[in-house]
Amino acid sequence: MARHRRIGNGKPIKVVRPVLWLALAGICLALTASPAFALEENVYRQFLGIDSRRLVWFLAQMHLFFGAFVLGVPLFAVIIEVVGWNNKDEKFDKLAYEFTSLLSVAYATTAALGGLLAFALFTLYPTFMGYMAGIFKDIMFLYALLFFGETFALYLYYYGWHWLKSDRPFAANLQWAFKALALVIAAAGIAFAAGLIGPEMRIDTRWFILLLYIAPLAVGFWILRDLKSSHIFIGILLNVFGTAIMQLANSWAGFMMSPVGVDGEGAFVGTVWQAFENVLATPIAIHRMLGNLAFGGLVAGSYAAVKFIGAKTPEEKAHYDWMGYISNFVAIAALIPLPFAGYYLGREVYSTSAVMGNNMMGGDFSWTFIIQAMLVGSLFIISNYYLWSGMTRIPGAERYYKFIKYILLALIISFAIWLTPHNLPLSSQEVGEMGGSQYHPMLKFLGLMPAKNAVVNLIILATFFSFLLYRRGNVLEAVSIRDQGKGAKITILVVGLAAVALVGQYAMTMLNMDPGELDLPADRAEYIRMIGYLLVFECVAGLAAIALALMDRGKLGQAIYLAVTAFNVTIFLGVWGFVVMEKASPVLRNVAVAQFLQLISCLIVVSVIDIFLFKRAKSLGPLKWGRMSVRSQYALLLLTFVITMNMGLMGFIRSGLRGDWHIFGVMRDTSEWAHTPSNFVMTQQVGGAVLLFMIGCAFMFWLGGIAAGKKGD
Amino acid sequence: MNVTVTRVFPFLLIVLGIFLWIGYSITELTGGGRKASAAVDISPEGGEAIYWGKGRCFTCHSVGGQGSAVRGPNHGQFGEKFPFPMGARAEKRAKERSEKLGSNFSAVDYIVESLASPGAYVVQGYKNEMAVVYAPPISLSLKEIKAVVAYLMSLGGDLDMEAIDTAPSEMTNSFYSKISAAAAAGGGDPTAGAVVYEDNCTECHTLNGEGGEIGPDLTGISGKGLKFISESILQPAKSLTKGFETYVLIDKEGRQSIGLKTRDEAGEVDITKANGDVVTVAKADTKSLKVDDTKSVMPDDLSEGLTVKDYQDILSYLMLQKPKAEQ
Repeated sequence: MARHRRIGNGKPIKVVRPVLWLALAGICLALTASPAFALEENVYRQFLGIDSRRLVWFLAQMHLFFGAFVLGVPLFAVIIEVVGWNNKDEKFDKLAYEFTSLLSVAYATTAALGGLLAFALFTLYPTFMGYMAGIFKDIMFLYALLFFGETFALYLYYYGWHWLKSDRPFAANLQWAFKALALVIAAAGIAFAAGLIGPEMRIDTRWFILLLYIAPLAVGFWILRDLKSSHIFIGILLNVFGTAIMQLANSWAGFMMSPVGVDGEGAFVGTVWQAFENVLATPIAIHRMLGNLAFGGLVAGSYAAVKFIGAKTPEEKAHYDWMGYISNFVAIAALIPLPFAGYYLGREVYSTSAVMGNNMMGGDFSWTFIIQAMLVGSLFIISNYYLWSGMTRIPGAERYYKFIKYILLALIISFAIWLTPHNLPLSSQEVGEMGGSQYHPMLKFLGLMPAKNAVVNLIILATFFSFLLYRRGNVLEAVSIRDQGKGAKITILVVGLAAVALVGQYAMTMLNMDPGELDLPADRAEYIRMIGYLLVFECVAGLAAIALALMDRGKLGQAIYLAVTAFNVTIFLGVWGFVVMEKASPVLRNVAVAQFLQLISCLIVVSVIDIFLFKRAKSLGPLKWGRMSVRSQYALLLLTFVITMNMGLMGFIRSGLRGDWHIFGVMRDTSEWAHTPSNFVMTQQVGGAVLLFMIGCAFMFWLGGIAAGKKGD
Repeated sequence: MNVTVTRVFPFLLIVLGIFLWIGYSITELTGGGRKASAAVDISPEGGEAIYWGKGRCFTCHSVGGQGSAVRGPNHGQFGEKFPFPMGARAEKRAKERSEKLGSNFSAVDYIVESLASPGAYVVQGYKNEMAVVYAPPISLSLKEIKAVVAYLMSLGGDLDMEAIDTAPSEMTNSFYSKISAAAAAGGGDPTAGAVVYEDNCTECHTLNGEGGEIGPDLTGISGKGLKFISESILQPAKSLTKGFETYVLIDKEGRQSIGLKTRDEAGEVDITKANGDVVTVAKADTKSLKVDDTKSVMPDDLSEGLTVKDYQDILSYLMLQKPKAEQ
């Protein structure tokens, strides 16, 4: 039974205690389980004769869907709230509140599913879970404590929204105390970044902690000055707790794939920190973080789409159109770096085990990756379609319609290349017709990694270009940056130089790298140096773009920088990737890093220049929110379905890479289900989970509608 | 809510239907679903189940038109590159191997060697990147490996179950011993490693103040990492420790002494050989004294003397020898 209390302005607080207790009971069960050792005979049980693996898989998938939503939405809800607070725009504040209102039911459902999953795991896989609990018991305690923090922060954030609205400043002393605390945290962050704290930590874990825990906390304390900023601070805390919970749980999943500190008998001889910071823990956390953000954005977008389709008045349509646009924007922002996070994760999987890596790209999952390519390609194409549809609501955007066909062509060609497999099962006759080779003489190149890397960069560039057209839809002419004061110039200069420095430092690394570091002979240095020279060229283009922007030739600067980047990342490095693959294949990973750094730097610099180029530019008229086709809303819904299926599919691949091992190389799965399920089984499992999740979402949206109706919003 | 039910969910069902159809089509295209590997007999059928299941051979190999992997050689008859299936091809490869090594390789010996030491005779055009199938994560037992050998021999070769199972040749038997030891180890055992260390290393190396002084002190050796230790055992000359270089001394009568230079004083040089013998030579009688960085005093055939289990055990034992700061 839900209990109601009253606090502040009298809005009810729903403490979902039974659900919380269920989840905590699962954790307690984990903590009381006696540790077992890897070589003990595994015990497996069944519930009502159901295939235990499929049951656990389904529950885990459902828990992750709801969990991803619960973790993803606060990330952008807080950012939107900050935008509203900073610009004193109530509209954004209301939107952030509406996004947050979707969380309440989802949070309770996530916790309930988490408890159910824990019970299922401990009762159906007692040996395995006993072993895991033996290693991770300290982390499980921490997880439980963070769970309290997350719960209180979420409910305080949502139900305290109106209560913590005042902008009456706190006492000056208190404000100074908060600022001093912010400075202390920032100083600790600098020491942490420099490696003075935790010198042995992996660099990815260090930056994850720095950017997602320390920096937000420092910013949170720095802005604390009234009740509204306190509310934002609670939002930051909510995200810090949520991220920490996710990171802890990821360390378990990572350990199952890349166990550390385990001796030959399977006994754990390492430290808790070693187990926590296993090789794959942080790469998975980074990938999941971005995935959650995109997923949260799109699920919220589907809420807006459903509301739009059912809207009765132009005002309602306008509101939900705007909400859908913001959701899609958030999702695209997260989708752009997601392929790179995936590449990094894949690289670490290969580093952990070549068997697991080969299994991923060439074994059981090669076809699953083709399905994944279809889904991810669809995500980008549909996102672009939604943006193009959105241009119909922008007066003056028709000037840019002519570019759409070229963007579409680039997307379709890239998509086709991305989907092209290196080889397919062929008959002997077909092999004979292809000159005795299993590979097609021309198409075989499109199936290789350099081609895939080139086109994924082109897809991202094309999507960014669509976004630029959208942004410029209703503005007439660029304005002078010179006339915008020092702030604009300093921002362009600082952001631009930081982006160029990001590329520049890697250029220096490439120019000075000893081929021996990659187990290559000295005469292969030229293959690395060439990347360095190209990056130097990219830096020059970046500097030229900054200089031109400051001289009021920003559009030219943007064009030069985009053209150079497009050439470098897709054409030059696309071709160079093949050369490298033939002559110095370990350098291929450096090619991918170089592509990523150039692309991301270019996108940042071009965006910043664009913001100031069109700040306060003469408008051709206000955006006509609500003037969108219903078809575009189905596109938004389709995006949600596709990303949800993709999340399930990626979970299947990540988990399935272990093959018939519970803990890779340490504890073998000796159950009757110890085999990799087929892609059909995967689509059944994932499809079923998606259907149920969407029914859950419909229920959440319905409840949200009732709540909104009661409040008269 | 009506809108959701009447428009959105049918749309979702269509999307999910397409998703299921794709999954179904791909599964059909790739030969259907798989089941967990049950215990297998040493037979071609058993080997086939391992090949396409637990052994994960299909990740890198295909058999004719079955499977699509190309990382490793196709085991069936396939195009011009593979005119013979594996069983028949093994006969030919065994002959080449015999000519190269001057020993008598049979087709079974060749296949067993390819599984036990994949890098020994790599097919031209392919890399030496095959996983060790008797170590984690694949961890096939000897029985399962024999079944795979039977399966591969059955692909166009003369299947001789005696040569595979009951009466293997001496060569096959030595490979089987190696596989058995590794499969039994399943990873290193530091306790057993201490015994192996005592038997093989104490005479030359000091550990925590005890042992010989011919080789470097191994106290805190784990600080140098697994790769270094592993390389030092398998290829000792590749990672010589400073101060323990190998000297080659040739005296005026042409006699050669190889070992560590343990004393170099005014008139004499001491060379301590690998067996601990010390040879003292007057400088006046010395023709040449040079460092040979291609040799190590440490026996380079140690890896042959140790079983795989010994090797894994000793590695785990040495990895427990933490540097003082970490203790």
